[in-house]
Amino acid sequence: MKRKLVGALAVAGVAALVMTGCASNPPKADSGPVTITYTNFISAGANEGNLKKIVDAFEKANPDITVQVKTIPYSGYATAQQTDLAAGTASDVFDIDGLSNYQSLEANGQLAELKGVDGKVYNSGLLDTYQTDGKQYALPTSFSDVVLYYNKDLFDAAGVSYPTSSWTWADETAAATKITDKAKGIWGDHQPVTYNEYYKALVQNGASFLSKDGKKAAFDTPAGLEAAKWLVDKSGTTMPTIKQGQGTADFDTNLFAAGKLAMLHTGTWVFGNFAKVPFKWDIAVEPGNTKSASAVFSNGIGVYAQSKHLAAAQKWAVYMSSSNEEVNVRLDTGWELPTISDSAKLATYLNKGAPANRQAVFDAAKQIAQSPSLGANSQAIQDAMTAALIEAQSGRETVQQALDSAKTKIDALLAG
Amino acid sequence: MADATIAIRTRARWAARTPASRRGLVIAIILHVAIIGGALAMFFPFLWTLITSITPGANLTSTPALIPANPSFGAYAKLFSDLPFAQVILNSLLLASVTTAVQLFTSSTAAYAFSRLPFRGQNVVFAIYLATMMIPLQVLIVPLFVELKTFGLLDTYLGALLPTFASAFGIFLLRQAINQVPRELDEAATIDGAGHFRIFGQVILPNIRPALATLVVFSFMSSWNSFLWPLIVLRSPQLQTLPIALAGLQGQYISQWDVIMAGSVVSILPMLALYVFAQKYVIQGVASSGIK
Repeated sequence: MKRKLVGALAVAGVAALVMTGCASNPPKADSGPVTITYTNFISAGANEGNLKKIVDAFEKANPDITVQVKTIPYSGYATAQQTDLAAGTASDVFDIDGLSNYQSLEANGQLAELKGVDGKVYNSGLLDTYQTDGKQYALPTSFSDVVLYYNKDLFDAAGVSYPTSSWTWADETAAATKITDKAKGIWGDHQPVTYNEYYKALVQNGASFLSKDGKKAAFDTPAGLEAAKWLVDKSGTTMPTIKQGQGTADFDTNLFAAGKLAMLHTGTWVFGNFAKVPFKWDIAVEPGNTKSASAVFSNGIGVYAQSKHLAAAQKWAVYMSSSNEEVNVRLDTGWELPTISDSAKLATYLNKGAPANRQAVFDAAKQIAQSPSLGANSQAIQDAMTAALIEAQSGRETVQQALDSAKTKIDALLAG
Repeated sequence: MADATIAIRTRARWAARTPASRRGLVIAIILHVAIIGGALAMFFPFLWTLITSITPGANLTSTPALIPANPSFGAYAKLFSDLPFAQVILNSLLLASVTTAVQLFTSSTAAYAFSRLPFRGQNVVFAIYLATMMIPLQVLIVPLFVELKTFGLLDTYLGALLPTFASAFGIFLLRQAINQVPRELDEAATIDGAGHFRIFGQVILPNIRPALATLVVFSFMSSWNSFLWPLIVLRSPQLQTLPIALAGLQGQYISQWDVIMAGSVVSILPMLALYVFAQKYVIQGVASSGIK
């Protein structure tokens, strides 16, 4: 709460301090050597050395530019960024903590437009995340996403064909129903019944969580009801119930690792959990209903609108998000995934072994279900939505009742 | 053999007790068990920290094994190899010592003035001092940062230290303590020809030692644990303090818990030493001023 207050103050201060429209001049190259500063959180924790390798390679390729790196712990990054922007002491180049951070920076005119960036180099969905009104204000540096894991052995035993990228919800339900064998404790499917899954399911069903102006909840439609039922109705039919432990920490990954779950909706960060399982498994892009859309989490990099070295700063931002050196360091060390489009350069990752279909990780990022910007009451709104879905899941309310009460609550929270 | 002798002796003593003293003993045992239970509950988080620090590749999502399978001090070695850890500890010690020393001086002199040098509007000024305690640092941080930027003190020790030099809490604590010192002592000293400086140094200060010790512990601890302000002001790696370096071990997705916990154990040690040293005074100080 306090941090949010600081944020609000910082934004207010920033609005007063920053001249608007100063990002429109194309950057001119500096003459002579320059030093640019780069504030990051992505290397904090374990990758400081890896970042240094990329910086060294950049400085070697650009002898006129020196990059001064400042690393801030992730837990303190938001505060440090807001303070710096309010005081006008932000670095030339700085990390952006995903979409919501990007949106507030862009709305406050803190980001220089990046002109002349070769968009083909990047994964299109990730690149779009950092665009506003067709202009590129930042670049994606790394990402992870949510995919559909499946146990091949269970599919084979039930004689069901494997999921493909053209699957829809109906295919998933049919397969899950066929595989589920409650007597043996085998379940067909698992997907958390939460806000995060719901906003994504809405996009997969051609709907959206918020109205176009972002001021009202917009899930009170037939498509919204269908999306909620998609999640809720799994419980007890193809997915264990809350009573059986569904929703507790690591329940789903443990069930999958135990070979008792055929399909699992979760993030690409749990590959390692299944490195030693005694069955064959793979992944696919999550099925949509009317369209394909996946939950994707990315980090970005932007150039400070008031930087005195825009050209050099942009050069570094591009290098840090798409150069061969950056891609190789990330792939060699397993430091999150690069955001480039060229699969030839990603070969070392794609051919690393199980899961075989690693291409799905990159394909999922091409069509992103962007998380709605919920404003100051974001957490309360998410909690209210999850609570309502669980009411429906546990059978205390019908899905329609749960959605109605959630809409009333969320509209009030959106109004402030 | 020896055990048997003791057992016989104990039984003999138990038999020799009157019913009343037996009841007293039972109550004492119950009390001790309760207190020991409480102490163990308090101690458990520290034990967990300690165990995690010697468990390689530990994570916090599973229950810790009380005896780790492959205990190793690798995490401690890693602290010093991955981080400029000695430098970080020195930085923290320096900041905490200077803060404590300066706060002792400013708080005690200001408290003396508020207690012994009546002036117009004294209570109003004191109330304003107290009011500043109610404003959280988070609200002040942006203006404070801009102010220090104007002074050119960003990324310097002085910038990190300046806002900590005066402490409303310290002034309050010491004023209460000085108010308890009988004025007759001042008057006697005045008759002997002492001025304010001598009264302050030779009469007041020796009489408020418990409060001073309390302030030492509190201000050292708050500086030692301080995260937000040093994080914002000190950006160069060579200036970083312990809490920030420890936070730096936590990535966006991955955290090296064994190393973080090893760092936490090391960071507890100086506070522990200070506390053991000042314990006697702190309890007196807290008890006499009614402050927790």
